[in-house]
Amino acid sequence: MSDTLIKVTGLKKTFPVKASAFSSKSLTLRAVDGVDLELKRGETLGVVGESGCGKTTVGRCLLRLYEPDAGRVWIEPDASLVSQVSEIDESVAAMAEELATLSGQPTKTTADKARVRALKQRVLRDKARANQLASTSDLLSMSRARLKANRRRIQMVFQDPWASLNPHMVVKDIVGEGPLEYGTHSGRELDRWVHELLEKVGLPPQAANRYPHEFSGGQRQRIGIARALALTPSLIVCDEPVSALDVSIQAQILNLLISLQDDFDLTFIFIAHDLSVVQYISDRVAVMYLGKVVETAEAAALYANPRHPYTISLLAAVPVADPEHPNELRPPEGDVPSPVNPPSGCTFHPRCRHRIDVCDKVIPVLGKDRNGHVISCHNPPNG
Amino acid sequence: MDKLLDVKGLKTHFHMHGYTVRAVDGVDFSLSEGETLGIVGESGCGKSQTSMSVMRLIPDPPGKIEAGEILLRGRDLLKISEPEMRKVRGNNISMIFQEPMTSLNPVYSIGYQISEVLMLHRDMTKDDALKESVRLLKLVGMSDPEERVTEYPFQLSGGLRQRVMIAIAMACEPDIMIADEPTTALDVTIQAQILRLMADLKARTGTSIMFITHDLAVIASFADRVMVMYAGVVVEQAPVRDIFKKPLHPYTQGLLGSIPVLGEVKKRADGSRQLLNAIPGSLPDHRNFPKGCRFAPRCTKVMARCWEAEPALVPIEEGHQVRCFLHSDAVQETPAYAEVKRGQQRKWQRADRRAQGAGPASAATGADKTGGRS
Ligand SMILES: Nc1ncnc2c1ncn2[C@@H]1O[C@H](COP(=O)(O)OP(=O)(O)OP(=O)(O)O)[C@@H](O)[C@H]1O
Ligand SMILES: Nc1ncnc2c1ncn2[C@@H]1O[C@H](COP(=O)(O)OP(=O)(O)O)[C@@H](O)[C@H]1O
Ligand code: SF4
Ligand code: SF4
Ligand SMILES: [Mg+2]
Ligand SMILES: [Mg+2]
Repeated sequence: MSDTLIKVTGLKKTFPVKASAFSSKSLTLRAVDGVDLELKRGETLGVVGESGCGKTTVGRCLLRLYEPDAGRVWIEPDASLVSQVSEIDESVAAMAEELATLSGQPTKTTADKARVRALKQRVLRDKARANQLASTSDLLSMSRARLKANRRRIQMVFQDPWASLNPHMVVKDIVGEGPLEYGTHSGRELDRWVHELLEKVGLPPQAANRYPHEFSGGQRQRIGIARALALTPSLIVCDEPVSALDVSIQAQILNLLISLQDDFDLTFIFIAHDLSVVQYISDRVAVMYLGKVVETAEAAALYANPRHPYTISLLAAVPVADPEHPNELRPPEGDVPSPVNPPSGCTFHPRCRHRIDVCDKVIPVLGKDRNGHVISCHNPPNG
Repeated sequence: MDKLLDVKGLKTHFHMHGYTVRAVDGVDFSLSEGETLGIVGESGCGKSQTSMSVMRLIPDPPGKIEAGEILLRGRDLLKISEPEMRKVRGNNISMIFQEPMTSLNPVYSIGYQISEVLMLHRDMTKDDALKESVRLLKLVGMSDPEERVTEYPFQLSGGLRQRVMIAIAMACEPDIMIADEPTTALDVTIQAQILRLMADLKARTGTSIMFITHDLAVIASFADRVMVMYAGVVVEQAPVRDIFKKPLHPYTQGLLGSIPVLGEVKKRADGSRQLLNAIPGSLPDHRNFPKGCRFAPRCTKVMARCWEAEPALVPIEEGHQVRCFLHSDAVQETPAYAEVKRGQQRKWQRADRRAQGAGPASAATGADKTGGRS
């Protein structure tokens, strides 16, 4: 068995949005615009970025709570299969691009038309073949039955501890819902399992018969974690599980997640906007900006030697609990631009202190730099 | 130093069916001209109700300011009439809240909302007020302020809305600005922008600030003095440097231990993960308050006497006060304490010595494991 648990390739997700409140014209919002990620078994991958960068959307696509437009989500993939399928996917993408340019031309010769027809057919055929090959381990192209079996292996803990639990259900039904649906536990045994889970997340047994509104934010987040654990998943996507909590409660939940990781042999994707929290809990960190990953590195290396200008400004925004800390905060200026109409070239260029002439013209591609970080930037500092 | 605001013995209680919530239960603090006071504590510990009491905005019923004095330049705000208080709110003290959307009016443009304050409190004409609004928006770092004045709250991001709130708060050139978790709902990046803006305004205008937060890191570079609250009382108060360099109260130490530090090593020597030094458990329920020290059920250093009597807030050093038996034997004179008999002190000391002989006292009743940070 390979030690890669999840591999995400070329993930894209768009949403249609109205041009304005009164318009019927529809625009495309690129929430996730070509994301690749890889998770090793037992590791924690942090995903960090400002609000609206597409972190939640990536997480929801992994669970197929959103239907992605393109890409693959491999679970325990076979490396040779991935490369075989990726090759076809790439050639399909190239053909699709050619098709787009051809159909964009105002006048077409008969030869062009024939080419278009042939291309269309090949795209369809190759896509089907790739999907067929991938369907053994790609969550996005597998059959319903296989998906259901795999789906329980990925769970999510949600950001808002107030909205994510059904207010009309008592805790034991919330936590026991999954096991009941999948038939893993029932009756007495289910009760025992729920009690064990509540104990694991630090809730008293009496909590089982209470409703969510009777709990504080931190306790609700514990309920959400117990629910995520109930089907003993391999991966838990934690979507800003501590952002809505006080620092003191945040520390309790971070400690809880760390100890559960060992007990339950878990792999985590940990999403947050605060790099100090992400760096604390993660082995590796992916920094996202406007739907794209702009830097990935080991957590320690990301702090010690950040390369992408966006990462550097995220680090500079973290308040330091030391009145004598010399650095004053140097956050990125302004807000994240709208993903409906992102800036040209490097999408970070309007806020970047290191930008050079090419930055607003050419889109930088992700590549490995000398010290092992993967970054996309034309002019990375700290080289 | 001249005291601008002096709050003494403030008690604000909420009378619910069958029980009383002692949200603010005897709080003393002061604020000097140009000073920034950080008020820190977990959700529910009484920070907001303390500032709402200063503004006299406690909903009555069920709330009531039961006792105390709130002296603004020597004048007791609890003794003046409501119309006079309204003037104080407009001219002397203004407030910024956590959720800027709920405190802005969605149906008016932001220019209108700032102008309204200016016309009311600074007697400006409509045209002057609009011009001043543009200047204020520029002051709080909004780009294109001339266009922004015509926009509505829903058209702005959370960070920009908070800038508008600050512009409104600054409009009447207040003596005191109360900021109640102004950055808690924002991303860290936007938080950093707002903190920078507030530090900048403070330097330029000399306004005194009460800054409320649950995250000590936020005020490290910003506050002059810090007051730590727990369950309705002040447990420690000190100049900002002392709070971070030599925190005395176990609660303050716990709040500091809860903050993940950037760049800190997370693996122990044996390869296992380092846990944060979290505080176990949560705030006590008002229906079931501890008789002695309010922090005793969560305190890792609890001693026998902590369960029996409440410690008093006592000065340990210049400007540094703490409420904990580890640092002083002084007892808060409460009705509960009146029941405790004389001679008890010696008994406690004996019990503590016994406990110390048997190893460190442990009272981690909460469910969380706490990791020691060496
Ligand atoms: N209108 C009210 N009715 C009843 N109890 C109240 C009311 N407002 C506040 N309280 C209680 O008073 C105590 C202190 O509340 P306060 O809002 O000051 O806390 P806080 O430190 O500001 O916390 P938060 O961060 O949650 O606002 C809490 O126990 C709270 O439940
Ligand atoms: N259901 C949806 N409909 C339309 N737009 C959406 C939807 N979900 C997310 N978006 C948009 O996608 C972008 C990325 O969103 P999200 O992944 O939630 O960001 P984050 O989690 O980083 O805050 C944002 O601009 C957001 O407004
Ligand atoms: S590509 Fe240019 S604009 Fe983008 S982050 Fe790098 S230097 Fe800045
Ligand atoms: S008085 Fe006792 S219980 Fe309270 S904080 Fe001090 S040591 Fe802990
Ligand atoms: Mg999100
Ligand atoms: Mg509050």
